[in-house]
Amino acid sequence: MSTTPALELRAVRKSFGPVAALSHVDFAAYPGEVHAIVGDNGAGKSTMIKIVTGIHRGDGGAILVNGEEMELRHDASQSQDRGIAVVYQDLALVECLDISTNMALGNLPYRWGVFLDRKRMDAEAAAALKDLNARVGDVRTPVGLLSGGQRQVVAIARAVRMNKPIILLDEPTAALGVQESAYVGRTLDRLRADGKAVICISHDLEFVFKHSDRITVLRLGKTVGTRTTADVSRDEIISMITGATPADTLQEAS
Amino acid sequence: MTTTAPAERTVHPEKSEASRTPILRTILLRQETWLLAVVVLIAVVASIRNPNFMNPDNLVEILRGSVIYFIMGCGAALLVIGGGLDFSVGAIFTISALVGTSLISQGVPIILGILAALAVGALAGVVNHLIVTYWHVPPIIATLGTFFIALGLSALITGGNDVVPLPADFMKLGQGSVLFIPNVIWYGLIIGALFYFVLERTRFGINVRAVGGNRQAAVGNGLRVVRIDLVLYILAGVTAAIAGMIYSARVGAGQVEAGGSSVTLVVVTGVLIGGVSLLGGLGSITGVAVGAVLLSVIDNALIVAQIPPQYNNVVVGAILVGAVAVDHLRRKQLYKPR
Repeated sequence: MSTTPALELRAVRKSFGPVAALSHVDFAAYPGEVHAIVGDNGAGKSTMIKIVTGIHRGDGGAILVNGEEMELRHDASQSQDRGIAVVYQDLALVECLDISTNMALGNLPYRWGVFLDRKRMDAEAAAALKDLNARVGDVRTPVGLLSGGQRQVVAIARAVRMNKPIILLDEPTAALGVQESAYVGRTLDRLRADGKAVICISHDLEFVFKHSDRITVLRLGKTVGTRTTADVSRDEIISMITGATPADTLQEAS
Repeated sequence: MTTTAPAERTVHPEKSEASRTPILRTILLRQETWLLAVVVLIAVVASIRNPNFMNPDNLVEILRGSVIYFIMGCGAALLVIGGGLDFSVGAIFTISALVGTSLISQGVPIILGILAALAVGALAGVVNHLIVTYWHVPPIIATLGTFFIALGLSALITGGNDVVPLPADFMKLGQGSVLFIPNVIWYGLIIGALFYFVLERTRFGINVRAVGGNRQAAVGNGLRVVRIDLVLYILAGVTAAIAGMIYSARVGAGQVEAGGSSVTLVVVTGVLIGGVSLLGGLGSITGVAVGAVLLSVIDNALIVAQIPPQYNNVVVGAILVGAVAVDHLRRKQLYKPR
């Protein structure tokens, strides 16, 4: 494992008015690992992702990408430029646009400076989906007509297509069936094999234990600790989530 | 966080539901199909009552009557597709035409007068955008406010008098014709083609649909939504100014009474009838064109067929309600949680 984390958070804080959503989050994900983030509702998992992607602005602490500090105030396109692709929990797909447009959104291909290159857009989308063994039908289908599972596949394919070294997924298996969850799991395994830092927020402990290398537990806006998945039991993780196990004082696991 | 994800689902990825969508349903859900049917129906009824309806002169008159609303509708449609709304276009029409014609009547070169009018339209768009974005006033209220302000200013700067006379060269712009087709119709065709191209074939157009279709998703994908909003309000203002100048050239005066609330209402009605969704994301320039022509056909047909004008409003209202109901059906297809 490389020594510089692909993505590191140091003592990140965020309050919404009087409510402290994050009080102290430390986190480090390395290239070539699937790093799961678990925690109860309100532990701050989604807030943490939104600070990394720039949807929320952190109040303090530091975000480092490949060891270089990223400003706390940035927008989603800047975090993309720094090499972070995100699959949001709500998928961030536009229902009235078709699959290939959604997959290229924010980075639409061009011909002669003005014309939208539809052909290339369709071809790239089809190629990316095929590459992931995804069968979602014609790439000209509006996303609004797809099922939830198909939408999840499109959202993941979009993030994979960006080919960024860091990929963040927020609850990718929430509300997916067994088969589809397995599909998402295989996709994560493949991204790890490609040497990407895969960060995956999930409630689904079965999924987490099956596919992650390390697990970081958040509780009430604080990092409780990080464990190597192979060395930890499910009960231990659950007791960290519920607070039965106190937080690590020094948390540089593995 | 709003979630479009459903609670429970079964998926058969190979059997995409969408790929089995009947073509017929797709066609029926296109607003243009319905509207053209209505246009044809009215035309048939009108020509039975008065064969002169189909006279080429009358058909050109119908198109000419629709152009002003169509040009304003292009800007307004783009804005509504992008999730905004502009009720001030009727007043922007008035004030920018008055500023432009006043300058021209005082000897300012015609082209500069036109540019000044467009600048006024753009400025009104910027003001609308600032109010909506930074003061968080809902678009319908913000633009209603600027509507009254612009209308009041129009009366103040002219003292309530129309701007006459205007140079013949300027009036020619609105009254001449090229290849037997009136200039005014050419303007509509050119601007319509331009907006069609921008909406369907450029990055900006796609981004507009994305912002209107799902604003949160647009933000998540790194689109500069505030900047897109700004451009949309400016375009709505500028098209209103263009329409104001074309109208002034056509009638040969900067009229204080032209524009105003009736123009705003007709433009918004035309855009909605044309299948642009008030909730954003959906709509097309061709739809707006058919919507504008339909309104003009109704106007004309009722006169030609000697039907009392009160029926006009009844028919327009019924079509508007029907069009928005069809829009609801379309949205139900696309935005159904699965």
